[in-house]
Amino acid sequence: MIIDPVTGAPAAIRYEGVHKSFGTNHVLRGLDLIVPRGKITAIIGRSGTGKSVTLKHVMGLLRPDRGEIFLGDVNLMQLNPKALRRVRERFGVVFQNAALFDSMDVFDNVAFPLLEHESFSSDVVRAKVTAALAQVGLSAAVHRLPSELSGGMRKRVGLARALIRDPEFLLYDEPTTGLDPILSAAMDELIYETQQARPALTSVIISHDMKAVLAIADKVAFLVDGRVVHEGTPEYFAQSDDALIRQFLAGSLDGPMKV
Amino acid sequence: MAKASRPATDAPPERPPASLITRSIEGIGRRVLSGLEDLGRVTHILALALANLFVRPVRVRETLRMMEFVGVQSLPIILLTSAFTGAVFTLQSYRAFAMFGAQAMVGGTVGVALTRELGPTLTGLLVAGRAGSAMAAEIGAMRVSEQIDALDAMAVDPINYLVKPRIVASVLVVPMLTALFDFVGCLGSYAIGVGVLRLSRPEFMVRLRDWVDWDDIWTGLFKALVFGLIIGTVACYKGFYTTGGARGVGLATTSSVVVSSVAILISNFFIAYALP
Repeated sequence: MIIDPVTGAPAAIRYEGVHKSFGTNHVLRGLDLIVPRGKITAIIGRSGTGKSVTLKHVMGLLRPDRGEIFLGDVNLMQLNPKALRRVRERFGVVFQNAALFDSMDVFDNVAFPLLEHESFSSDVVRAKVTAALAQVGLSAAVHRLPSELSGGMRKRVGLARALIRDPEFLLYDEPTTGLDPILSAAMDELIYETQQARPALTSVIISHDMKAVLAIADKVAFLVDGRVVHEGTPEYFAQSDDALIRQFLAGSLDGPMKV
Repeated sequence: MAKASRPATDAPPERPPASLITRSIEGIGRRVLSGLEDLGRVTHILALALANLFVRPVRVRETLRMMEFVGVQSLPIILLTSAFTGAVFTLQSYRAFAMFGAQAMVGGTVGVALTRELGPTLTGLLVAGRAGSAMAAEIGAMRVSEQIDALDAMAVDPINYLVKPRIVASVLVVPMLTALFDFVGCLGSYAIGVGVLRLSRPEFMVRLRDWVDWDDIWTGLFKALVFGLIIGTVACYKGFYTTGGARGVGLATTSSVVVSSVAILISNFFIAYALP
């Protein structure tokens, strides 16, 4: 069993020497990362450093040009498309813009994964959706369309949809982007509470919200040019004297990273 | 023995400026490659949809919803166009045949033209413009707003969920609309021919019945089936590979109508050539 040196927890996901290019754009350049089981791992870095690409690889939505990705002991590179689809059923994903289905109301959006993959009766589906929406504080919005929701509400519906099948892994792609500070804090609180309520859940968050990352993450990985250049606990990052980390945390124009 | 020396720089040697002929050939080559890539992707998406045809879930409800969208919602435009097409074709044929005193042939001529050519072709073009464009826009918007990624992430095959029902619905509905177009077109022709131009009613009906045989009708319906396949596949393909936000959705929508229309007209010729 491989143990994550930062948290001491067993590895749930491992990236080993992952390279990925899109045309001439070399996005991931030998990414090595361990995501510990039952913890919140935050991936931080400037825009375009490959954070979202990193997430898409673990769901099998992208295949690396080189390198390997393990989910527990399973090498994702050796799975066929059908097996990859089964792997995806173990994930819940909260997308940057929620990615709710425009043509469905909130209830149908949240119920969608259940209706696709389970054979529950309509009463059970209703009960599960009601509980999921109550958990994210949106019981009153059950029959509203996504276009009638605010950005924060859409993200909370996205979280309810991601949680509805009780996933093993929960991936958040910039969950607070576009929200005001108060809604961001509420979303962070929700992410933290979700993790506390599910000790076995392994969460990965991509975020630029450094305050939230340092408050809720168990492990932080800092990506620069498609590689993890620093990883550690939030305390390590908060106390680090490294010029890259200081510049990124301060959001300063002065430092080794140029615009 | 001394080695041949290289220029003291790592920069690649500069290419001489391309001539007009070279640039033209490069441009043609790029377009050909891009066209081949498009053809490959269309074929791939169609093959995936066909391979999914009986894969569970079969998506009956979604297919019926799309049939309602492509078929029922296209009825007003199909009825209107078919009635006026039959009417105007009758009017023009009457003027031409009158020069030879052969007005009695109007009913049969219009009937054959409608069932073999005008019915399937105009129905195909109308459905491509109304429903094909909407399908491309819907799938394109889902692509740029990550809804298709969300389907993938939820382990739902987007081909099975989005593409298959639309292609199946188009293939089933366009022949039905074509049959309706043929019928209403003949009614429009009858109304103008007998009602306005005072053609003999029995003669109009006899010519129509004698000249239009089942081969004409089946040929038209077969064409409609092919056009339905073209409309559904092109719309889904254009939507599925949309990039570039709102502008990309607009381009995909326009491109879907243009490509479908051209493909319908070209395939119409080849089917007409192949079928007697």
